[in-house]
Amino acid sequence: MTTKTLFIGMDGCTFTVLNEMTRDLPGEGVTMPFLAGLMAKGSRANLRSTPNPLTPPAWTSIMTGRGPGQHGVFDFIRAEDKGGEVYWTLYDSRDVDSEMIWSIASRQGKSIAALNFPLTAPPPKDVNGSIVPGFIPAKHLRRNSTPGLFERLKEAIPGFDAKELAWDFDNEKQALEVLNDNDMEQWVRYHLPREEQWFNIAEYILQNDAPDLMAVMFDGTDKIQHQAWQFVDPNLVPAERSEFYNRMRGVCREYFANVDRYIEKLVTMAGPECQVFFASDHGFTATVEVLRINSFLEDLGYLKWAVNDGSEQALRREASDFANLDWSQTTAYCRTPSSNGIHIRQSTKPGEPGIDPKDYIPFRDKLIADLKTLKNDDGEPVIVDVLKREEWFPGQHMERACDLTLVLRDNGFVSIRNIKPAVVKRPNPAGTHHPDGIFMAYGKGIAANGLVDRLDIRDVCPTLLYSLGLPVPSDFEGKAAEPFFTENWLAEHPVKIGRATVGGGEKAKSEDMDDEEKRQIIEQLQMLGYME
Amino acid sequence: MTTTRDTYIQQLIVLLEDFTQDWDHEFEGRMNAETRLLGDLGFESIDIIQLVVAIEEDISKKKVPFDKLLMKDGRYVDDLTIGGIADFLIAFV
Repeated sequence: MTTKTLFIGMDGCTFTVLNEMTRDLPGEGVTMPFLAGLMAKGSRANLRSTPNPLTPPAWTSIMTGRGPGQHGVFDFIRAEDKGGEVYWTLYDSRDVDSEMIWSIASRQGKSIAALNFPLTAPPPKDVNGSIVPGFIPAKHLRRNSTPGLFERLKEAIPGFDAKELAWDFDNEKQALEVLNDNDMEQWVRYHLPREEQWFNIAEYILQNDAPDLMAVMFDGTDKIQHQAWQFVDPNLVPAERSEFYNRMRGVCREYFANVDRYIEKLVTMAGPECQVFFASDHGFTATVEVLRINSFLEDLGYLKWAVNDGSEQALRREASDFANLDWSQTTAYCRTPSSNGIHIRQSTKPGEPGIDPKDYIPFRDKLIADLKTLKNDDGEPVIVDVLKREEWFPGQHMERACDLTLVLRDNGFVSIRNIKPAVVKRPNPAGTHHPDGIFMAYGKGIAANGLVDRLDIRDVCPTLLYSLGLPVPSDFEGKAAEPFFTENWLAEHPVKIGRATVGGGEKAKSEDMDDEEKRQIIEQLQMLGYME
Repeated sequence: MTTTRDTYIQQLIVLLEDFTQDWDHEFEGRMNAETRLLGDLGFESIDIIQLVVAIEEDISKKKVPFDKLLMKDGRYVDDLTIGGIADFLIAFV
């Protein structure tokens, strides 16, 4: 077998950083010389992410060619407003309600490998190839990988270490915390051996299995940029570089240099006949202020906080990243920082808290107008756009989306802490997600077009299928990225639209039957202290 | 005569031995009906979530209302035994 398509995912990767890492900088040289060569010989585009540019919905769009309204994944956690209580669960592959590329390619006779992608655990059963999921703790990686694969990797790869490779909840929590200098450096360093482990697996699979579609995702990019954005953003270089700045910059460059080495090895192994694609789920930028959205909604009279009796349990609940509210007196609120959205509570029966459904539109219009009144101390509007779900999340799962999704002037994520004032400047700029990620191509049949017009995150999946020689399913929302390919290639390999995907929409139909399941997982989380 | 309870206990032991085979827990000896998930096997919250999925996929072959096992009188139980899970499966599968 020969690998036709090599797909390298880079979580949160942005041209803001990549352009710096691939050019000759005074005193630093070129950090990623191999990638620089690929970019010079290939095509690339900014890639517009999902409306809320977040890892779970965005990677799911990359894997399905459809938006969150269709595939049904909106956040890390999934919440159900039950008129008095909100129930939370974690999203997993069983929640993805659109066929993923791994299944689409497999049922058409192609082999695949998918390494470190979120929402691939438990692994789909109808896949011809290898899956090692991302975002799964070490203790559960073996059972959540393709049967037999974990043991095979453990035996074959010297230095294979599941603990070093896998997601560690305690460590990952640090991504969004304020760390001291030493911890910040350790945080970046923690990702160096982790990425090496994923590279070793990718190298082994490519060498031994050469699947038609070889896909691996490196997620250190996102994690490092969250903590160390000020050391990689060219717009934030200080006039005088401190010893700490140079050290942090050095370790960040070491990370990117390692990734360049992985790319070189994988691309070289895949050979000259292979087409290589790179994509990120979103970009990155600097956030300069904090919006405490629930605090602002309280000021506006839309919500009331739960009573805090000062107990250890109450304090812990208050400090968690889950909204802790008096549901009987709340009509609009934000559930989680990562959702960046507002839910409007509608009363479904008499006596239930929430607004009357017939008042929904005027209520929402007033809320939008109220949100847009918020200004920071410099008089600048903090919320620059408010997205209505029917316009931005059309599809069978639209009702799972936030009623309103906020776009902040600095692209930041909201805070849901019960603290005043509602808007404050950050002491230092921090990394946050930008809606534009990257999409790049190189190899046989790929044009040296340089930067082309912006593409959409839903275009990645059809582009990879096209590269594999497969038709693009008729129910995809994205399209193959034709500007990446040479005219000759397109003439010899016209893009074909084929049959619709299989199995999508089944979960939307059975939603009502799953209430018991949702509750049980919530209660398990609560029982063991994950949630209060 | 092998009872349904014995069958479930055996299935759970097989599953849990596989589930925990590469964990760092200090449990030694054979698992039995009295073995506790948290107290003996070192379970954490994420492990319970994964175990529920594993039981539904490998043993019950369908969704089961685990809340009825995990909550007693409005409070969450402190621990679970293999025998307790077997009794629950008899009642709800």
